[in-house]
Amino acid sequence: MAAGTRPRRRRAGLSTHHSSFAWGRHPALLAFLVLVGFAVSGVSGAVAYFLPAVTTALHVTGQKTTGNGGKATHPGAQGTGTPPPPGQPFTVLLLGSDNDTKFSPNHVLTQTMILVRVDPATHHAVMLSIPRDLWVPLSTGGSAKIDAAYSYGGAAAAIQTVENNFNVTVNYWAWIGLGGLVGLVDQLGGVDLISQMPILDVQYPYDLTGGNPYANQRIAILPGPQRLNGVNALTYVRSRHGDILEDIARGQKQQELLVDIKDSAKQMNLADIPRIASALGGEVRTSLSLSQISSVAALARDFSNGDVTQIVMLGNDYTGGTIGGQSVLIPTWPAINSLIAQNFPAG
Amino acid sequence: MSPRQLLASLATVGLMALFGYGVWAVLGTLQSKANHVVDPVQAQALLALPGTLYVAQDGSLYSLQGLHFSKLNTPPGDWVQVAPAPGGDLLAVSKGNGYSDVYLLGPTGQVIRTLLQESSPSYFANHFAYYPRVSANGQTLFYAWNWIDPYANYNVDFEVLSVPFANPGARATVWSLSNLYYQGGDVEPLPLANGGLIYAKYFNSTSGNGAEYSELAYVTSPGAEPQYLTTPAQNCSEPSLNPQGTEMAMICTNNQLQTSTLEVASWNGSTLGPLTELSPGPMAAMPTWSPNGQSLVFMNVPQRSLPFQLYWIPKAASSKPGAAQQVTQSLALTATSAPVWYP
Repeated sequence: MAAGTRPRRRRAGLSTHHSSFAWGRHPALLAFLVLVGFAVSGVSGAVAYFLPAVTTALHVTGQKTTGNGGKATHPGAQGTGTPPPPGQPFTVLLLGSDNDTKFSPNHVLTQTMILVRVDPATHHAVMLSIPRDLWVPLSTGGSAKIDAAYSYGGAAAAIQTVENNFNVTVNYWAWIGLGGLVGLVDQLGGVDLISQMPILDVQYPYDLTGGNPYANQRIAILPGPQRLNGVNALTYVRSRHGDILEDIARGQKQQELLVDIKDSAKQMNLADIPRIASALGGEVRTSLSLSQISSVAALARDFSNGDVTQIVMLGNDYTGGTIGGQSVLIPTWPAINSLIAQNFPAG
Repeated sequence: MSPRQLLASLATVGLMALFGYGVWAVLGTLQSKANHVVDPVQAQALLALPGTLYVAQDGSLYSLQGLHFSKLNTPPGDWVQVAPAPGGDLLAVSKGNGYSDVYLLGPTGQVIRTLLQESSPSYFANHFAYYPRVSANGQTLFYAWNWIDPYANYNVDFEVLSVPFANPGARATVWSLSNLYYQGGDVEPLPLANGGLIYAKYFNSTSGNGAEYSELAYVTSPGAEPQYLTTPAQNCSEPSLNPQGTEMAMICTNNQLQTSTLEVASWNGSTLGPLTELSPGPMAAMPTWSPNGQSLVFMNVPQRSLPFQLYWIPKAASSKPGAAQQVTQSLALTATSAPVWYP
């Protein structure tokens, strides 16, 4: 072919009558289609960004309260996690587990049980830590430490057992594993807290990073104000050896961490969700739906720390004892019922 | 379709794809910047303080002169708690897995010698050594060290020890008695020119409510019964005495939950005067006096949940102290490490 000449061949597919639409005569339609194309592309970009978060969120949120809930022993106990009417106070049961490889994934204990009542109208929240060693009748039958309910019958049994014993209605539940807590704190960039005590433990579990769930490690969290990453935040709330209140002190620290997480989460925005969701992986589950979570998050943003009452059960609420060779806490029900009536009123 | 039209169509489709990618990328840039942290050497201080300050961040030690930070040339490790040493050298703690050692460093971070070597192949022979301080005469090294009760492994409180600075391998002198059974501990030794010692003693109340608090304790000799300078309700710790020995800065919570304030009080060698609040926090930590004793620096957060920055209070020892001024931004300084301030 001579230089400068242009091929004039027509390709068969482009020479048909139907494809010879004269776009030049329809500039508005062309512009519209181009705009639609850009819009579709933009939406695709947004979907690609949020897809991991949406996938994870759909996987972990809106979980059905499955499992063997056992028997309800009072009218308010539903064992199903039924949402309250809009705008009404609601109660969430927060569950945390040592879900390392010592345990079967579906039969973990809930070493952390925190009952949270949120009143949207008064902007007030109450947190009550339930000691894991509290010896109670389980909804699935028999009596045991309350942390065993989840291992016998999942979230349904944990909820039903709490409802039966404490005479409260639980509307939602959320469960988090060790890795989930570490990932959450790390993705928030850490948490600021004041350790009221040097925390030294020579028999702290080396299960998360050590590879051997039965090994121990020596840890030290220094006292005073400081910023903790995920692993150190977990250490802070998990270590109990040597503290006079042992598991009770751990409950106090867990509540402090929850407030710190609430504060740190205020710095986050929508674009942070994929990063946080991917870090949580399968280490979080909740019955709250995505829309309910966003409502609760919006509510939490308006809460100051003074709006949150933190309660742990102390010596008046139980007596120490041994049952079947296990060290347990035997509930003093009149004192506990009074605590519940005061802070978790029905309705 | 003409080649020109084909080209235009392909270009348009390409632009659309680029736009989609752009949306994805822009969303990524919209992530929260509030917790954005930089290495100090990439940052500039907001105001220039006289002399040289030393701080810790993310396992490294840094000096600050004027507006600029330099990273100290320490060996690889997790370095914290830099402290003054004789002749312009520095003490520092290197954290290991289950122990911590104390080193003497030169001003640029090179190791001069190991002072306390606390790692051991035997699990229960490992120890944590923190808060190194040298006495005013430069003869004695004080530090907090965790002992291990051979009969109850859970009992591993900190206690304050001292060793000769020139011979730290010598038998240690025990200055404080730990809390025996329940966790607590004695930390943050502050050696005094008169030979006495102030430290923070942490308690776990045995009254049933398990309250945790600290008091500043003063002893005139090793193992003596401490005289308490502050009350459990004030819950004070992290003492720092000005070079003149007349004003003591400290951190207190005053029964507030998760809030710490910077306080100052006069010191006459045996008792503290009334406490005056210099900063309401919300998370004030680790005050350090300037070499001339007129002002001080401390750690604090610009707002709750943000990383710790360095703050400065002019005329801190006067009856009309200045307002706290933020010295750094976008850093995440180690708040359990007191700054060092050399002339």
